[in-house]
Amino acid sequence: MVRLVLASPIATATGGERELEVDFQGTLRDLLDVVTSKYGRQFQQRILEADGALRRFVNVYVNGEDARFLAGLDTPIPRDATVDLLPAISGG
Amino acid sequence: MQCRECRTEYPPIQLAVCESCFGPLEVRYEIEAVRGGFHRDTLRGRPPTLWRYRELLPVFDDDAIVDLAAGYTPLRRARNLEDAIGSRELWIKDDTVNPTYSFKDRPVAVAIAKAREWSLPAVGCASTGNLAAAVSAAAAKARIPCYVFVPASLEPAKLLLPRLYGGIVVPVDGTYDDANRVAFQVADQRGWGFMNLNLRPYYAEGSKTLLFETWEQLGFDLPDVIVSPLGSGLLLTSLEKGHRELSELGEAPERPPRLVGSQPAGCAPIVRGFESADGRPKPVRKPDTIVESLAIGDPGSGFEAIQSIRETYGFADAPTDPEILEGVRLLAREEGVFSEPAGGTTVATLKRAREDGRIDRDERVVLLVTGNGLKTPAVWGNAFPPLAPIPPTSAAVDAFLGGRAHG
Repeated sequence: MVRLVLASPIATATGGERELEVDFQGTLRDLLDVVTSKYGRQFQQRILEADGALRRFVNVYVNGEDARFLAGLDTPIPRDATVDLLPAISGG
Repeated sequence: MQCRECRTEYPPIQLAVCESCFGPLEVRYEIEAVRGGFHRDTLRGRPPTLWRYRELLPVFDDDAIVDLAAGYTPLRRARNLEDAIGSRELWIKDDTVNPTYSFKDRPVAVAIAKAREWSLPAVGCASTGNLAAAVSAAAAKARIPCYVFVPASLEPAKLLLPRLYGGIVVPVDGTYDDANRVAFQVADQRGWGFMNLNLRPYYAEGSKTLLFETWEQLGFDLPDVIVSPLGSGLLLTSLEKGHRELSELGEAPERPPRLVGSQPAGCAPIVRGFESADGRPKPVRKPDTIVESLAIGDPGSGFEAIQSIRETYGFADAPTDPEILEGVRLLAREEGVFSEPAGGTTVATLKRAREDGRIDRDERVVLLVTGNGLKTPAVWGNAFPPLAPIPPTSAAVDAFLGGRAHG
């Protein structure tokens, strides 16, 4: 099972749900598609740009590694991975 | 509060980012209401701290304020450095002398007051060192538990200070960005108030007082150029906001000072973003620089900082570590101000900009020096080798000085 953990500000996109278990195999893009099928296009629109790229206000980490330093949305998600979604506006 | 991106408005509640688009939130004031209390004549008799700008700081309850007397630091005319660098009028805004020896006492003053207004059970931050000390000291005074998340590899003085103030230092095996990520998750789970994470919109408000003080100390005038260090970019965007508010009040011209941002070449995500066509920061996975206080590879306000730099006709630059250390030396030897490397970064950027003309000789420049050099002795390595003791005799002194001329 893949564990998807959303920081509370981001969880407004899932109606307040902060932790999801997803039985799934594929890339980060595929994972977000699965979550979109559950929470609707409003989830997708808040996480992804119109052209399908990750929005700059959301950081995604796959097992603690920033997805931008992996293969972005093409990053393969291991079966038991933890994927974190956090606001990009933070720190400093 | 209002989202900078989608303009959604919120009441002044505890909110880290916009709930609608996750963009950055800004505190907004009813300028007409501020106008009655905030003008140059009323400021004169006020205490020499950042609270003199009370009408433009978002704290409702005076009893929530934890006053370590941060702010109102010296603005020093730097005549020797003017000669050395070839500038007609140069000033140093010296935040090395804040209560915990960096500008971070400013944003903490505001954010910890909000934490007290909301009766949060604990406070903390993710930090490259300076903020860790600032929040630990304020939390000590407020008697609130404090947790600071830092890269475990920080220089010793920066690990010591927060512990001395009674903060709990959580040493994260990784970069600042790793510490930031885990700190957000922990604060989120436990309901703690973390200065630069879930209190960030309020935290930012403290930093703009650097702009207010500069304006007041220049005789209610602004410089042509402000050179600022860039970590997350939030200090620079706060300067821009400070100018905007003064301008809305009619206290400053509409044209802002040119904002110039400076990062070390070994960690320059905002500078590289400024140089790129898309204007988006270029994250750095493993920062490689002696300037630990600016070693933020994924700057939270990078995009907005680039916008502010462009809109004010400023620029961004990334000097090398040797140039930065030379900048620290210049500041010490020409002006008697001992800065941590972040201050050398702004000096080095000014020096380079004078050499290639990006800053004109006749422009009135303010350099922000945001942290004290006593916190970072390790950067000097063997540059100052140990001194061998001499016998307490005048002959020994003569021999030691090696014929150096007297007087």
